[in-house]
Amino acid sequence: MSEYALEVEGLVKEFHRRDQPPLRAVDGLSFRVRRGCIFGLLGPNGAGKTTTLKILTTLVRPTAGRAAVMGYDVLHQPLAVRRRIAVVLQETAVDLFLSVRDNLLSYVRFHGLDRYEARRRTARALEQFHLLDAAGSKVMDLSGGLRRRVQVAKVFLVDTPVVFLDEFSTGMDPILKREVMDRLRQEAARGRTIVLTTQILSEAEELCDDILILHRGRPVARGDLNTLKLLSKDVYELSLTFDALPAGLREELEQLAPVRLTIHNNSVEIALRAEESRVLELASALARRAQLLHLEVRGASLEDIFLELTRPTAGTVPEVPSV
Amino acid sequence: MSATAAITAVLYREAKVRATNLTFLFWDLFHPLAYLLLFGVGVNAALGLQLPLPGLDYHAFFLAGVLSMASFGIAANTAWSFFLDRDNGIFYEMLTYPMRRAEYLAAKVLFNLGVAVAQAAITVGFAWTLLGVQPRLAGVPLLVAAVVVGTAGWFYFYAIFALRIRRNDVFNTVTSVFYFLFLFASSMFYPLEPLPAVFRAVARANPITWQTDALRYATIGLGEPRTVALEAMGFLAFTAVSFWFAVRSLQREH
Repeated sequence: MSEYALEVEGLVKEFHRRDQPPLRAVDGLSFRVRRGCIFGLLGPNGAGKTTTLKILTTLVRPTAGRAAVMGYDVLHQPLAVRRRIAVVLQETAVDLFLSVRDNLLSYVRFHGLDRYEARRRTARALEQFHLLDAAGSKVMDLSGGLRRRVQVAKVFLVDTPVVFLDEFSTGMDPILKREVMDRLRQEAARGRTIVLTTQILSEAEELCDDILILHRGRPVARGDLNTLKLLSKDVYELSLTFDALPAGLREELEQLAPVRLTIHNNSVEIALRAEESRVLELASALARRAQLLHLEVRGASLEDIFLELTRPTAGTVPEVPSV
Repeated sequence: MSATAAITAVLYREAKVRATNLTFLFWDLFHPLAYLLLFGVGVNAALGLQLPLPGLDYHAFFLAGVLSMASFGIAANTAWSFFLDRDNGIFYEMLTYPMRRAEYLAAKVLFNLGVAVAQAAITVGFAWTLLGVQPRLAGVPLLVAAVVVGTAGWFYFYAIFALRIRRNDVFNTVTSVFYFLFLFASSMFYPLEPLPAVFRAVARANPITWQTDALRYATIGLGEPRTVALEAMGFLAFTAVSFWFAVRSLQREH
């Protein structure tokens, strides 16, 4: 049996559109993911994350290349793949006409558990996801956040070795999101492989132990967080809060060609590629411009790396150290 | 998970949706019956004597129309729920469950056939007890076959559109047009003989006429056996073609 949960080789997906050239959503993608890890697929809109995930979950046929889940080919053994996966789609996929309890019971039945086990697991999920009060309510009567909660609760009802989550935290309140993230870590520790796509980079930074950044259907970087940070070792983040924002500061900072610049009220966040000494000089110079209430200098975040790699003007792809 | 378990899971879900939503029960089981008891009784009282139906009242004539309307209605309702499932994403999630596409489609059809047979039994039962329309015992096998094949045919036909149309407004328009076209340009509500030639030609090419004529022959023995047999074969062909297109549409979802 393969030691990899996912194996993707030369994957291509083209969508043919009337009166337009074909759209190549995934363009020769290759990667492998070890079992039991939390793997993040990152990228801006249209990068090919969801298409890749749909191919891996047997929803979309690839145009070329090969993809396997737990050693089973998604094109030739789709049923074997489906027996080993649980999926949270980007859309809030719930049975609107069923109650919360029946949604969960129905899901478990589809995964072949007997009636006793279905009831036991449903009762546990209702409690864990704080859905007891809404258990008898029709899902169509619930808020978007609660519907999402029902949807995500489903993947914790079954023991499939691979879990796919496409933008799972959309519409979730921060407390539940934290709980789900903790649970995902526990599931990974139990040996399940978690594959998630997200645009919330702090989520990936906190959760993923293996990240692949896609851009226009192609991989632009791969590795754990520390490995990815090596790609931007000369990028630093400065956070400053002034008592009053100095005049003309935005224009001056824009001349430094920052990776990212955010000015909100009296606070400035700037990420720029420069030597450490230059960054400290800049911090010192800014501190002389007005009274500083807060100053922080950090190394690059995943967001900085992401922006560097995926901005429209991005030049050559940096060397990716082997993982 | 075995094929039986997969089909059972789909049936469980469909049954739960129906059993916990009274509006579905009305549309699936009692809506055509309401047509028979209200519209049928009204037309019978107002026009019954003027209809060219020797020895028959309008109730007896309309019973077959109501039964085919039930097949058509159940299929239309299922297509609507198909569309809704796809629109909110649960349809795609279900396609990632451990079952084959064919098992999913087969279970959906099976459930609808069960509903259609129950609906037919209720309608015939009410027609017999309340309106005195006694169906021919010899016609029962043909009646069951026409209800079963009819519901499957219309289910596959509607599934093509539910799977291909992306917009809610377009889907609603298409189903409304179908409703008027198929139901009124057919032998469902009235005999075709007194109608203008063009109308008659359109109605003769309408699969719901073929189903209705088979049901009418089964319930009250009205019609030429040879014509009914030809129409039945036509409906079988319609079902086969619709099935082929429905499966293609489901595979297109890849």
